[in-house]
Formats: sequence, C-alpha cells, structure tokens
Amino acid sequence: MELREEIAGEVAILDVKGRIDSTTASTLGDRLSAALAMRDRRLVLDLRQLEYISSAGFRVLLLAARRADESASRLVLCGLSSKVQQLFDLGGFLDFFQIASSRDDAISAAK
Amino acid sequence: MRRPPNIFYGVDDKPPHGVTVLSGLQHVGLISIILVYPLLVTPEAGLSSQASQDVLSLSMIVLGIGAILQVLPRGFIGARLLCPPTFTAAYLAPSLIAVKTGGLSLVLGMTAFGGVIEIGLSRVLRPLRPYFPSEISGLVVVMIGIAVGALGLRSVVGGTTSQSISEHLTVAAITLGTMVGLNIWTKGAPRLFCALFGMIVGYLIAAVAGMTTAEDFAAIHSAPFAGVPGIGHLGWSFDLGSVVPFLVAAFATCIRTMGDVTTAQKINDADWVRPDMRSISGGVLANGLSNITAGLLGTVGVSTYTSSVGLAGATGIVSRRVGFAIGGIFIVLAFLPKASAFLVIMPGPVVGAALLFSASVIFVNGLQIVTSRMLDARRTFVIGLSFMFGLAVDLQPQSFAGMPAELLPFVSSSLVLATVSALLLNAIFRLGVRRTRTLDVVPAQFNAVAVEEFIEAQGASWGARRDVIERASFNLVQSIETIIDGCNPTGMLTIEATFDEFSLDVRVSYEGAPLDLPDKRPTNEEIMASEDAQRKLAGFMLRRHADRVAATHKDGRSTILFHFDH
Repeated sequence: MELREEIAGEVAILDVKGRIDSTTASTLGDRLSAALAMRDRRLVLDLRQLEYISSAGFRVLLLAARRADESASRLVLCGLSSKVQQLFDLGGFLDFFQIASSRDDAISAAK
Repeated sequence: MRRPPNIFYGVDDKPPHGVTVLSGLQHVGLISIILVYPLLVTPEAGLSSQASQDVLSLSMIVLGIGAILQVLPRGFIGARLLCPPTFTAAYLAPSLIAVKTGGLSLVLGMTAFGGVIEIGLSRVLRPLRPYFPSEISGLVVVMIGIAVGALGLRSVVGGTTSQSISEHLTVAAITLGTMVGLNIWTKGAPRLFCALFGMIVGYLIAAVAGMTTAEDFAAIHSAPFAGVPGIGHLGWSFDLGSVVPFLVAAFATCIRTMGDVTTAQKINDADWVRPDMRSISGGVLANGLSNITAGLLGTVGVSTYTSSVGLAGATGIVSRRVGFAIGGIFIVLAFLPKASAFLVIMPGPVVGAALLFSASVIFVNGLQIVTSRMLDARRTFVIGLSFMFGLAVDLQPQSFAGMPAELLPFVSSSLVLATVSALLLNAIFRLGVRRTRTLDVVPAQFNAVAVEEFIEAQGASWGARRDVIERASFNLVQSIETIIDGCNPTGMLTIEATFDEFSLDVRVSYEGAPLDLPDKRPTNEEIMASEDAQRKLAGFMLRRHADRVAATHKDGRSTILFHFDH
C-alpha cells in the first residue's frame, strides 16, 4: 500500500494506492489518527487506486470516522471503483461513511 | 431475468394493438428483403410467372408459420423469443444445384430432409454444450453481423455504374440516416418504428431518383388484389447425391439459429450470463419444422432472421405478440398478391440501409458475448484465429478455389468456416485443461496477489465469468487472511477450485480452529471494540459474497466451501 498526502486549502487529501489488509491496515490507521488528531480537521480519503480492502481495512476506517466525530473533524471518502463499492455494500458500510462521487465533490463536502 | 432499460415492451408484455401491428409490419418489411430467394430458384425450375407468384405466396405462408412457431408460449417447440425466419443462402446454394439435377421436386424433398436433420440436431445440442462455450456463441453472432453488414453493403452498391453509384449511396444514406436518427434522437412512435419510417422514406426517395422502374410498377399493377395461391407445382423427390450439401445447409442453419436465439436472449435480459439451451433447442426445432413446412408447401429453406433480432433490440419491442403479428400479416399477404408485389420491389439501397442498421446491433451484441468471459491464451486463439479464417473466405476467396470438392461446403461462407474452425480448435485446446486445480499456501509466506493470480488464471482457462472470479478471489484472500489472523493454522492451507459451466466451488482447508461465518453482521461499535468482531465481520462478508457456504471441522481439520453459481 502507498499513501500520498496533498493539501487543497484547508482540506488534506490522502491518496491510497494498493491494498488495505491485515498487514497494511495499521499503517493507514496510524496515518489517519495523526491526520485527525487535532480538532476541526478536514480530510478526504481518495480511494481511486484502491485495489482491495478487507475487514481489517474497514475497521481502520470505522475507527477513523469515530475519531473524526470526536475531534469535530470531517472525513469524506471518494473515488470508489465499482469493485470497491461492492465491498462497502457487502460489509454494510455505504450508508455509514460520507462518500462523494468525485474528488472535487469530496473536497467541497469536507469544507 | 431483468429487463434492460432500452427494452420498452419485453418478451411477455402485451403492447397496444397498434404498436403490435405496426411493429409486425416493420419486421415484415425487413424480412421481405429476402423474399427474392425463392424467385431465384423458380426460373431454374421452368415455372411460369403465375406459378412463381404462387411460390411467393406460399413462401409467405411458410414465413408466417415459422414466425408463430418461434413464439409459442408453451411446449418444447420454439425459442419463445421474437426471432422470425426468412429464406437463407445456406439452403439457396444447394437448392440451385438440386433444381438443375432433379427439378423443383428435388429441392422441396431435400429442403424437408434438411428440416428433419435440424430437428435431430436440436435434440443433441444440450450434451454438446461444453464444446460450444459462450465465447464461440459470441463469435458466431459477430460473424453473422459481419455477413449481414456485407450483404447490406453489396445491396447498396450492387449493379451500379459509375453514374448511378452516387444516387444509390445518397438513397442509402438518407434511409439509414432516417433509421439511425429516429432511433437515437427521438422517443415514442418515431423511435419504435424507425426502421419502418426509414424504409418508407427510402421507397419515396428511390422513386424520385428513378430507381423504381416501369417494370416494377407493371408487376404491381398486373398482380391481382386477392387470390388463393395455386399448388400445381408441388412434388417431392429424394436423391442421395444431394444429401451432403443439404446436411451442411442444415448444420449451418442450426448454427445461425443458435446465434440468433442467443442474441435474442441477451437483448431480453440485462442479467444474461450464458446461452439458455432450452430456448436454443426449441428455436432449432421450430426452424426444422419450418423447413419441413417449406418443403411441403413448395419453397426453399429458411433460418431465423438475424436482422429481425437486431431490429427488435434497436427498437426495444421484443414482445412475443409481435411474432404472432408477423405471422398473421404474412399469412394475410399470401392472399393479397398486389401487396406482396410491392414488398418484392424494394430498391437495393433501401435493402442495404435496413441490413446495415440491424447488422450494427447484432455485431455489437456478438462482441459483448465474446468478452463476457475471461479468455486465456487457448481461448484467445480459438476466437482470434477462427475470426481470421472466417474473414479469409470473404477477403481471399480465391485461396479456397483448389480445395477438394468434399471440403468446399465448409468454406462456403465466413460464418461456416469460422464456426467449424472454432469448434475444432476448442475441442483440441480443451485437452489438458483440468476442471479442478489446487494451490498450497504457507501461512508465513502468504502472498495475496499470488492467490488472486492463481484463481484468475484458472478462471481464464475455464472461460469463467469475470464477476464470479472476482467474487471468488475476494473470498479466497479474505478467508485466508482471517484464518491466519485468528484460527492459528498449523501447516499449509490448501485451496481447491473446481469449475463446471454452472458452478465454481472453492474450498480452503487447513489444520486449525474453524472460521466463524455468522449470518448476522456485528455492529460498528463491536467491530471497533475488538479484532474478534472484525473477524466476525469478515465471516459475515464471506457468507454474503458466496451463493452458498459450508464449514466443517473434523479431527482438527477445518474446511470452508464457497459455492458460486455460474
């Protein structure tokens, strides 16, 4: 898994490339925790290049969403391929996360 | 079965009577393009113009009966889909030979014989299914699309001179432009009847351009308004020397019907995954009966009409009722010679435009059927080489001139050669493809990508559906990840994947605790609170992703079976 961070104004964008599974989930979890550690942060998680996500990955996303709530921050997901979207649906997560159809929409929603 | 969004009246729907009749007329116009085939045989048989008119009328009755047989809602006869017949070049070629050696009676007897052969073939199609996988069905449809398109192009420019070609192209362009334009940019009646409107516009423009000759008008004028067709020309005979050409014709017609019915199935069902053999067998059987009827009523052989299937898909009216309407209209027209004479004089550019319109739909459907399956190197060469061999018949016909006479029927058309080549190559390349494959995974060296590549490579060698392989791939990787994390496996995990055309079974077995596969999802709070709940989430997802799961634990060894319908 590769992570790349960009800043667009007040919004931080984290690009995730590759696989989020039990071996990589903790790395992503640490990065998300750091990004949402301070109050009132705006974070977009761009999953365009995500190939696979397992239950370990979903757990990390759930923990990040809770942390965002606790710190009055905002976490928006975008770029889900149809395959990844199917996995979100399979796990019952489509309604839980805020998911935008494009990166620009995600940045607008995070502001 | 789920109706695609571009289908307005599905196969079981009952469109309003006006829509049904107009749609039937639209098909009748398109089918009538090929009504000329029986009239190519009658002069060779020395029939008078009146007897030829009788043949034409009886031919319409055959087309009417054939259209109705295909849409019968119950029983084992018919595809139960809108795929009416028309006369076919597959039977025309041997008929033109037979008429010279044995007169019209031999043509009729051998046509009925071809029908009997088709009925026999329809009964053995099901066990032959492994030798006729989806991608070969798709190739057949592609080749049919190309053949219809090529015929369309020839109809546009055929018999033209350097002076008249621009007129022909103009009439064809306006006709085709009307059909396509109405289909793309309009709604309601103009879209539903775009081909009919296009043909009417084409007739008018062709008449203005002087393409409808005085003889054409005279033929319409001299034909009686109503009349009962005579049967004086009927007679039947059989000749062993004509058996091989008519066998090949029956085989080629069977292949074409299979392709047409497959296309009709796909047009009707957004969730289409494979050819439905009941419908195909019923379609071939109905066509065989139509050919027996053709022989008995004194005309040449028929096959399902690709262009009508394409037209139904393009206009979104695939209701079986339209099949009954086509049948009824043809049977009525058989007793109205003046009206049928009007259909027979359809100008070449109008014919060409109508054929090109429907060929486009057929060609794209064929491509979609081919690419609906994963293709490994074997299957790629089966399709690619057969396609090239088929094209060679059209592009380099002189290459086949020196072939032994017994083999000539197999290179008689691009469709036949491509199909025969695909069937042979598929049978050869099937050798060595195992239905069950295993892979051992060492937990400490688990490589998810290697497991994915294993199942994808197997899927391609089996010609499996991509979506099913993707689901199996997720279940394999997620289950192994969870087993390694939470089930303390000792020794290797063994993956066993077994495929047949109807199912994919994937087993993961290992020494260790069984994997929990709950049917209730843990809550988000539970998942966040413990990794154990996260593993339960994995089990829940695995259970939901497969069509069936089974877990066993015996003598310390656990096995999980994921079953996927295919």
